[in-house]
Amino acid sequence: MKKILFFVLIFSAVKFSAQNKQVLYDFAELPQTLLLNPGAETNYKFHFGLPLMSGLSIDLGSSGAVLTDVFAYDNINIDNKISTLLNNLTTTDFVKFNSQIEVLNGGFRTNTKTYISFGFYNEIDAISYYPKDFFILFSEGNNPHLNKSFSASQLLYKFDVLGVIHAGVSRKINDKLTAGGRFKIYSSALNIESSNNTGTFTTVLGTDNIYKHYFSNININARSSGLFNEDEVIEDSDTYVNNTFFGGNLGIGFDFGATYHINQQLEFSGSVLDLGFINHKKNIKNTTAKGNFIFEGVEFQYDPNNPINYWGQIDSNFRKQLPTAENQESYISWRPVKLNASLKYSFGEIRSKICYDNTYKDFYTDAIGVQLYSIFRPLSPQLALTGFYQKSITHKIHTKVTYMIDDFSYANIGAGLSAQFGKVNLYGMLDNILEYRNLSSANSISLQVGFNVIFN
Amino acid sequence: MKFPAKIGVVICFFVFTSCYESLDFNQLNDYVYKPVFTSALTYFTVVPAQFFNTLGIQQNSISDITQFKGFQNSYIKDNLVKINFNAEIKNEFDREVTILVDFLNKNDAVVYSFTPIIVEGGNLNFTFLEEIEIALNKNILNTTKVRISTEIENTKTQMNPADTREFVFKSFSNIIHRIKYIKNEENLIFCTDFFSC
Repeated sequence: MKKILFFVLIFSAVKFSAQNKQVLYDFAELPQTLLLNPGAETNYKFHFGLPLMSGLSIDLGSSGAVLTDVFAYDNINIDNKISTLLNNLTTTDFVKFNSQIEVLNGGFRTNTKTYISFGFYNEIDAISYYPKDFFILFSEGNNPHLNKSFSASQLLYKFDVLGVIHAGVSRKINDKLTAGGRFKIYSSALNIESSNNTGTFTTVLGTDNIYKHYFSNININARSSGLFNEDEVIEDSDTYVNNTFFGGNLGIGFDFGATYHINQQLEFSGSVLDLGFINHKKNIKNTTAKGNFIFEGVEFQYDPNNPINYWGQIDSNFRKQLPTAENQESYISWRPVKLNASLKYSFGEIRSKICYDNTYKDFYTDAIGVQLYSIFRPLSPQLALTGFYQKSITHKIHTKVTYMIDDFSYANIGAGLSAQFGKVNLYGMLDNILEYRNLSSANSISLQVGFNVIFN
Repeated sequence: MKFPAKIGVVICFFVFTSCYESLDFNQLNDYVYKPVFTSALTYFTVVPAQFFNTLGIQQNSISDITQFKGFQNSYIKDNLVKINFNAEIKNEFDREVTILVDFLNKNDAVVYSFTPIIVEGGNLNFTFLEEIEIALNKNILNTTKVRISTEIENTKTQMNPADTREFVFKSFSNIIHRIKYIKNEENLIFCTDFFSC
């Protein structure tokens, strides 16, 4: 129970980005690999996933900070721990969360060369960079940081809750090349984002007065859709769930991928995922602040003949020079594009497995290779490099071990298992298993599990 | 043990024996952050001519007043613990100048006054600090206006209205907050009940 609650805490405490499924990618011809590469090879007649159970994936991570930094039993004053944490954070550190639940997943072969797959899944995807300057300003004030420019550009976050209906085709072009594509319709239930902010707040020694405050080149925007309905926050969770299926904020996207056999043992595969956007036009509330403002205090005139409403004057100037505004204008949010590339060398014992057309296909029991993953995030692309070893124990039991280097770790070891019992396929994989010794100090963890029914 | 069984055992091992270090979320109850915000306040420069009325008669006191809505902000009002008022003054006049700073409520009644700031003539580097503990001076939170009066010493000798010597007043405040991360019982119960380790 405590562990469940611990995970609940992580989900609630960590601000909520699509994930790198390095173990699942190109693994065991699982139907779910088609979602990572629509050009992946399949070898079955048709499949369907158990509704809501065919694919559950969770990925969360925090670079630069872990729970034990603050909450460990260490007899260190929490004020000091938080202060140290804030000082150690960099502007590229971030927290992320991604979860996908497949509601429906299925596929069928139309002929010997073509496999159609389709489905519907819900996704929560979030990333927030640590706005270090904001944290410092609000926790320490500007007094210890005179002359420092607190930057609004660090305010960078994106939170999405959406449903995705998809259909894809995987086609064997020839003996060496399989290519595929997938069309997606996104239905956003909730989007909150802020990016491309500019501006600084600085306190410096003044000329007319002791200090002068500068709000320079401020251009801050915060967009939301699905969160407010006529200025009231939507609190009904059913509304969000319903909006994941053809709600008012729709978008489209495409996946592309291919698998190419350079020779019998060497294979290259790659994919581009979520090349798309969502047009948000329902329940929009955007806030902007733009302008410059300089404040040096109130200059008393001592002119009894012309009394001045100083405060009113400053307030008016502030609103005029640095106006904040709200609007309901529609906007477009781009999906985080992901790139996968893999080079795999197969070796070991050659075995045969029966195919959908009652022919036999040879395969090697072992494979090693490298995978490169990149996701385009608001600040910059995030990269992960993975080395892997795959072992097919039998033609129905497959295993994979990965070693990944990414933003969180230089030693992320993952493992996966796919086993088929009759028509039922079970798979499970997790990464960062070294961190399972102490999840409290883990920068990231991810897992994927699911059941499929596969007909050869 | 066969290889798949080994893998299964390994995965089960990680899944079922995963550990986490006990965490003490109740520490947040003790988390207090104390931001100090520095803000420019009033400034002015007066010359002798400003102490003469339209009839050419010297007045020994002039004053000006401004609205002040800073304490109407609930964040400031609820978390403010101390204000350090700082002034730097240059008095080129040949006589003493006294600055009186009064905080007025909406009825124009004085709710707080600074210690009179007395600057002798010719003092070009006068500094002043007034520390206001809010707990001891809660009335100051009712301030809606601030009045600053500038009085010149009555030396029986009238100032020369054409004199260009200046009295320069500059000021800023350090506003000290004390903010507890967890304030209410609900949060406290959430932390203690669910995550006591």
